[in-house]
This record gives sequence, structure tokens and C-alpha cells, in this order.
Amino acid sequence: MRPKDLIVVVDDGSKDHSYAQACLEGVHLLRHVVNLGQGAALETGIEYAKKMGCKYVVTFDADGQHCAEDIERFVQVLREDKADIVLCSRFLGRAENIPTLKKYFLKVAAFVERVLTGVSLTDTHNGFRAINIAKFPDFSITQNRMSHASEIIDLIKRLKMRYMELPCTIRYSEYSISKGQSMMNSVNIIVEYILAKVIK
Amino acid sequence: MIFIKIFLIVVLSVVFLLVAFSSRFRTYQRMSVIFFYIFLAYLILFPKVADKVAHFFGIGRGVDLIIYLAIAILSLIVAVLYAKVKMDERAITKIVREIAIIEAKECR
Repeated sequence: MRPKDLIVVVDDGSKDHSYAQACLEGVHLLRHVVNLGQGAALETGIEYAKKMGCKYVVTFDADGQHCAEDIERFVQVLREDKADIVLCSRFLGRAENIPTLKKYFLKVAAFVERVLTGVSLTDTHNGFRAINIAKFPDFSITQNRMSHASEIIDLIKRLKMRYMELPCTIRYSEYSISKGQSMMNSVNIIVEYILAKVIK
Repeated sequence: MIFIKIFLIVVLSVVFLLVAFSSRFRTYQRMSVIFFYIFLAYLILFPKVADKVAHFFGIGRGVDLIIYLAIAILSLIVAVLYAKVKMDERAITKIVREIAIIEAKECR
């Protein structure tokens, strides 16, 4: 951990002991009193970071599939102002134990996203991102549940952010696979996404 | 026939009372609810009228007309309620987020 970093953990209304267990030294711990969804938890963390005067935000999936060692490389790109948002792509880097079906599925998702938005990414649904929020105070997620990944791509387009993809290591452990969303959920994501477009 | 009419009028009246006296309506909305109530009560008492209206629109029976209208109106209500649920959800998100940020604690 680097000295000036601020670690924000958002407990999205867990009913188990997650809140107490996440209280490690140096962690800024926030809690949703009711469960809202991953998108909402991300936005709470981002808003808190803005309030604390942070310049960059790095989002991290909580299931242990990302590596903290990758953070420095990502933030370095923002610091050098080569991009405004850096996204992790598991297809550029080493993806350990990625299930074959999931691999092709994610590639199709990236293709659909490219056709719909014109933003060209190889891995659209990856939770590891570094964002320059000091430059883009309007960067906020309104989709509470899983469609926030598509919403972020919309944001990239709307706010005209310069984006870059970097490889990062993803570890598919048994735990992260059990925690990950099932692929059938993509149907829900598409419906949510379309509804959000229709009903503003 | 008379029993079903009494039953329908009672159900309609209960719904009417619930809707018309909930305080969230503007005057013109309440007026239209009242007129709608009178119109429906009239149709229940004199079902033959519905047949004439249906004929005018080229539909066989009055009951069919009412079923078509009911489906259309119910669908509209579902859409309106869905939008309301979304608005409430947004408000809840705001409140929960505000509480989370206010009560943030730094662990040591």
C-alpha cells in the first residue's frame, strides 16, 4: 500500500459479518443500510472519494480476482495524462483459469458494445478501472445493478474521455467463480440497459 | 343479474373511494376520476348501452369493448407505476448513499 492512498470499502447491505471483517487498518468503511447493487456501491465509493478530494479512483472487484500490484501501472497512466480512464482487459493480460465459455461470451459482449457505442474495448465487463475523477467530476454511475459496466462505456463516450486498456492479471479461483454473475444475467443487463435508454 | 350488478357496484365504489380521497390528486384528476366512476356505474346498470357504443366502434359486444379498454388502461397503469418505482428507487439510492457517506468511519 502506498502512503497517500485511501482505501474505501463499501458494504452493500451485507447481512453477514462483512462489515466488521472489512474494518482493517487504514480502511475507510462505508455501509449501505439496504442492498442496492454493485453499481450503486461503486458510485457511493466514487462520491466519497470526490468528497475526500481524491484525484484518481481505482475500482476493484471484491472477490479477489484482481491484483493490487497492478494499481501502480494504471495510476501511472493517469498521472502522465495519457488517458482519462484506464480499463483492465483480461484478454491482453494473463487470465488464469478463465472458463472457456465465459471467455467467448465476454468477447461477444465486447463486440456488441463496440457496435452500439463505438467505443472499442476488448473486455467491457471488468471491474478493475482507474478513473481520473478530478478531471471528470461529472463521472457518476446511475445504474444501481449490473448495467453499470455498459453505463461506464456510455460515460466514456458522452464525456469524451480518452480511454486505454492495459493488461492485468485475473485469477479465477473457485471463490471468484462462485461469486461471479451467471452468464444468463446478461439478459437482465440488456433489458435494464434498454429500459434506462427509454426511460430517462 | 341483479346480484352481479350489486357486487360490481360495491367493488367499483370501494376502489373509487380509495382513489378519489387519496390526497395525491389535483382537482382536474379527481374530477375525471369521478366522471369515470359515474360512466362505469352507468354501464354496469345498463349494459345494453355498452353494446351500442361497441357497435359504433365496430366491435361485436359491449363486454368485448370493455375488456379491450381494461387491458389498455391496466397496461398504462403498469407503465406509470413502473416509472414511479424507478423514481422511488432513485430517491432511496440517494438517501442510502448520503447515510453511508455521513457515517463513514476510518478504521485503525
